[in-house]
Amino acid sequence: MDGIKVLLFGAAADRAGTRETVLSAGEITLDELWPLLAERYPGLSPMRDTLAFAVNGEYVRGEARVAPGDEVAVLPPVSGG
Amino acid sequence: MFAVVEGPIDVAALISAAQRPDCGAISTFVGTTRIDESGGASVEYLEYEAYRPMADRKLEEIGAEIKERWDVREVSIVHRIGRVEPGEASVAIVVASPRRGPAFEASRAAIERIKKIVPIWKREVWSDGYVWVGSQVGTREPADLP
Repeated sequence: MDGIKVLLFGAAADRAGTRETVLSAGEITLDELWPLLAERYPGLSPMRDTLAFAVNGEYVRGEARVAPGDEVAVLPPVSGG
Repeated sequence: MFAVVEGPIDVAALISAAQRPDCGAISTFVGTTRIDESGGASVEYLEYEAYRPMADRKLEEIGAEIKERWDVREVSIVHRIGRVEPGEASVAIVVASPRRGPAFEASRAAIERIKKIVPIWKREVWSDGYVWVGSQVGTREPADLP
């Protein structure tokens, strides 16, 4: 399926009930992608302000652009160590 | 060596690998799983997950950062994922330097950076539910959350 691959981790995967999904969209910013994700997984909405994002394995801000074929990761506050 | 591993961490091997004639200090930090108690319940084990390969790359970045800031000749950072039992090592940092000062400081800096930038998450599994540390999302009653 041609789309933007979204990976979810930790508490975000827990709240969404899935670890991976694909969103159908053209080239958009992460801030524009968020409502599509929140609509599909309403449980994520309360976490919005705590989340960070990575595109293709590197941290990015909300204004970063993503396109079909990219991998977006939804990252709750990290807690390694 | 910078790695995310799924089994026990061989700390002794990391220390051996850091020994060299131009270094007079090896500082080792080992993070281990601790049993917390609250609300009449206790932690049974921890479970870690990582976003790979980004997590592996961030460990390498931290190694490069501390080598740039201190006179550090060898660095290894290994983080374990999956289920980790009480008292076992979840992370090990081994730093070799000519002098003890930089070795201690660099090792401390490395663990603080891990806790800020490496995409690894810890879930505490309690006798009465679980909690994702950092997000405080889980199945325990809110009153019980630390």
